[in-house]
Amino acid sequence: MEDARYYDIRHVAGESTHVDCDNGVVESAGTSFYDVAVLRALGQKGWGVLTIDNYGERTEQEIRAYIKEALALASVTEEEVTLADAPSSILPMPSMKEDPSEVSLEEKCSLLGSIESAARMNGIKNTRARYSESVGTISFLDSSGNEYSYETGQSGYSVVAVAERNGLMQMGRESEHTILGFNLRNKEEKGREAGKRAIALLDAKPAKGGIMNAVLDQELAGVFAHEAVGHASEGDIVKEGASVLKGQIGQRIGSSAVSVVDDPTLPEFGFMPVDAEGVGVQRTEIIRDGILKAYLHNRQTLAAVGDGIAGHARAVGGDVPIVRMSNTFIENGDASMDELMDSVKNGILLKGSRGGQVDPGRGVFQFNAEYGYIIENGELAGMVRDVSLSGDILKTLHNIVLCGKDRKMNPGYCGKGGQSVPVSDGSPHLVLENAVVGGQNV
Amino acid sequence: MSEILDEERLIEQILRAGTKSAADVEVFLSEGHSVNAELKRDLIGEAGESRSWGLGIRVISEGRIGASSTNDPARWKDCLQAALDAGKLATPQEWGGLPEKADVSRKLATFDPSLEVDVHVAHDLLREMLVGAEEHPADIVGGSAGLSTGSLTLANSNGVMYSREGTGVGISLETISGTSTGYEFGSSCFMDLDPVDVGRKAAFYAVHSVGGKEIADGTYDLVLSPVAVAELLGNVFVPALSGRNVGAGRSFLADRIGEECMPPGVSLYDDPFHGQRSTNWDSEGVLTRRLDFVQDGILKCFAYDLRTAYRYGTKSTGSAVRGGPGGAPSIGMHNLYLDGPRSETGEEPALYAHDLVGAHTANPVTGDFSVELSNASWIEGGNPGEPVRSAMLSGNVFSMLREISALGPESRSLGSMVLPSVRFNSQQIIGK
Repeated sequence: MEDARYYDIRHVAGESTHVDCDNGVVESAGTSFYDVAVLRALGQKGWGVLTIDNYGERTEQEIRAYIKEALALASVTEEEVTLADAPSSILPMPSMKEDPSEVSLEEKCSLLGSIESAARMNGIKNTRARYSESVGTISFLDSSGNEYSYETGQSGYSVVAVAERNGLMQMGRESEHTILGFNLRNKEEKGREAGKRAIALLDAKPAKGGIMNAVLDQELAGVFAHEAVGHASEGDIVKEGASVLKGQIGQRIGSSAVSVVDDPTLPEFGFMPVDAEGVGVQRTEIIRDGILKAYLHNRQTLAAVGDGIAGHARAVGGDVPIVRMSNTFIENGDASMDELMDSVKNGILLKGSRGGQVDPGRGVFQFNAEYGYIIENGELAGMVRDVSLSGDILKTLHNIVLCGKDRKMNPGYCGKGGQSVPVSDGSPHLVLENAVVGGQNV
Repeated sequence: MSEILDEERLIEQILRAGTKSAADVEVFLSEGHSVNAELKRDLIGEAGESRSWGLGIRVISEGRIGASSTNDPARWKDCLQAALDAGKLATPQEWGGLPEKADVSRKLATFDPSLEVDVHVAHDLLREMLVGAEEHPADIVGGSAGLSTGSLTLANSNGVMYSREGTGVGISLETISGTSTGYEFGSSCFMDLDPVDVGRKAAFYAVHSVGGKEIADGTYDLVLSPVAVAELLGNVFVPALSGRNVGAGRSFLADRIGEECMPPGVSLYDDPFHGQRSTNWDSEGVLTRRLDFVQDGILKCFAYDLRTAYRYGTKSTGSAVRGGPGGAPSIGMHNLYLDGPRSETGEEPALYAHDLVGAHTANPVTGDFSVELSNASWIEGGNPGEPVRSAMLSGNVFSMLREISALGPESRSLGSMVLPSVRFNSQQIIGK
């Protein structure tokens, strides 16, 4: 049997801890253990991939046997995979203020419980808070002699309050996730915010759907950057012909107010010290002043597509590296909030996010705000609920006409190919003209 | 054979060690072997194989429930200790014990001895999908074929030791024509999928959506495919049937037992004996049974696992499934059927949607949602007509289900749901 043209092994092992507080009860709390590796080998054509549970320590002889198994799998592949050369390097992990694994589970339960109970107030029927933490070691080695090992630690919480009045229910939600250390202390205010929002939404009117001018807050505009621009710029989607951004490098795809960046080096929730193929990470400008500049790549898609840099491969434990976003954002403009509101005059302010989805091949996206406010004569009028936004990527980017200067990043998780990875999205407040807003009343 | 003996010995060891510190001990062991092959455009770019092993331990003492999991057999003691530690922190609740051994010998169809977990079989499935896709001029974006076999063993300190084996095959194909995308998939426990047909449909959806016309804002009669119906049910209605959400005050359906929530004649039930997720025992060893959530349009019951049932003074409905954090069971569905009188859904003119974009952003508490339609077209006389370029559907899942006007003649098996296409009259659409 021939040798592998290339192989790498990515081993992820550690502990995950969760706490679930539901209506004042510690529903569950505890720690579990994981240990899994993925070995990829390039045969004459494409990839053979072995997933090995409970990898632990393996001898060289065992690894050779695995490579042989992977090559046998690769023998059914047809695509001629080539890998672009990409510099390998690793950044130090941002330091943690307080290591979550050094805080006792008892204390985590009690701190989470106080956030949850802060959400409980008159008019609130149910509160629930959840904490999750994953602490572990990621080890990487490849046949080119690159070898890395680093510790990761993510932790975060969410708190949800459900308000009820005369059979009508509404929900308020707050969450925070971080790689910068334990984050459950002094967060009762977040619980109160979730509770107050749920109650306020009881009086909010259903949004009136239709086409209108909108101001998007930092969180929702960040989701827009992620869903509408980020996914369509992922090199694997471009390579496979399923992105409307294919063949658009150097073209104007948005108004000159729009610059979009993916930067895995920022110490935000999407930070990675090195990518999942051992490639050094760098900031990538996807759109500069409305012009498409680069795609996000791994080594394979860079070789196949070009226009961009590798270093955007990510993988969850036990899965293959694919092209992913990290910290994705729209850059600041220079408009003040008053200028944004004045420019809209009559429209809607959309706030918060319940997530979104995109079909990058069709260029269509959909996402949901948590709530919003009607804008009348440049002033905020009544609160509205259940407002969503959908549209066409290429049209919508031309409709972002004004960006504020208050960019903020929001942490979250992004799913693709069955893998959920930590990311952050961000943006300043911005104005989107002719937004397609969904609501109950047309 | 020796592996099975090792496994039994491990389980007995854990039960013995666990019962020294806890009143009830439960062990859940899963093993799996799977292969997959992935198309990148129309060429296979990746072939994989995976062997998995997982252990979940749950301990209960004086109503305190603790759980942990690991995939390292050598760490079972750490895992047991973590479960015991977790139990100490949980708030005590009413607890009436784990189930005792019962008759679980009913024969169920979830295992196909002819299914080979072989990457060459996956290769052939992909090739056959590509043959089907050639019938329409679409480009292939990607595709996947996977085969798996696995076993589950559940044991507890009351003498339960149940095992079951299952096999599975799944295929999917993604296509594009210009900026029209298409996607089709299939899954089964048996080697009975029709990959040529899956390929043909994936290509058809992309090609048929080319040149879609805009649609004006307004209300339209709407037909949703089984895939689109599954999105709405799964994101909103199914969570509202969970006894935990009902008890906690997070379910819209909480106080509506006995009320009409679908039109007369329409039923929604979980049949644990027919379908891809069939099982005689749930993830806690409780015997499963048919559950009629909605019967003849009337809401009849909710789904409970043991802990939620004991907490709210009712009985487990055998609805525990695995997948909770730390290897703990949670409430779910086995094979959920939407059923009732069948008729043609697309005979009279209507707007048709094959899939939805963004259904997971629905408000799970209130049921309000807005989604983009995928592969939308007009339909009449049972035949797809002119494509529609883009349309947003806004509504409320709970009120929409009361407005069902017809269920299509055939049902489709989608993992844990078996659903027909559904016609809804007068739905609100936002065009461009």
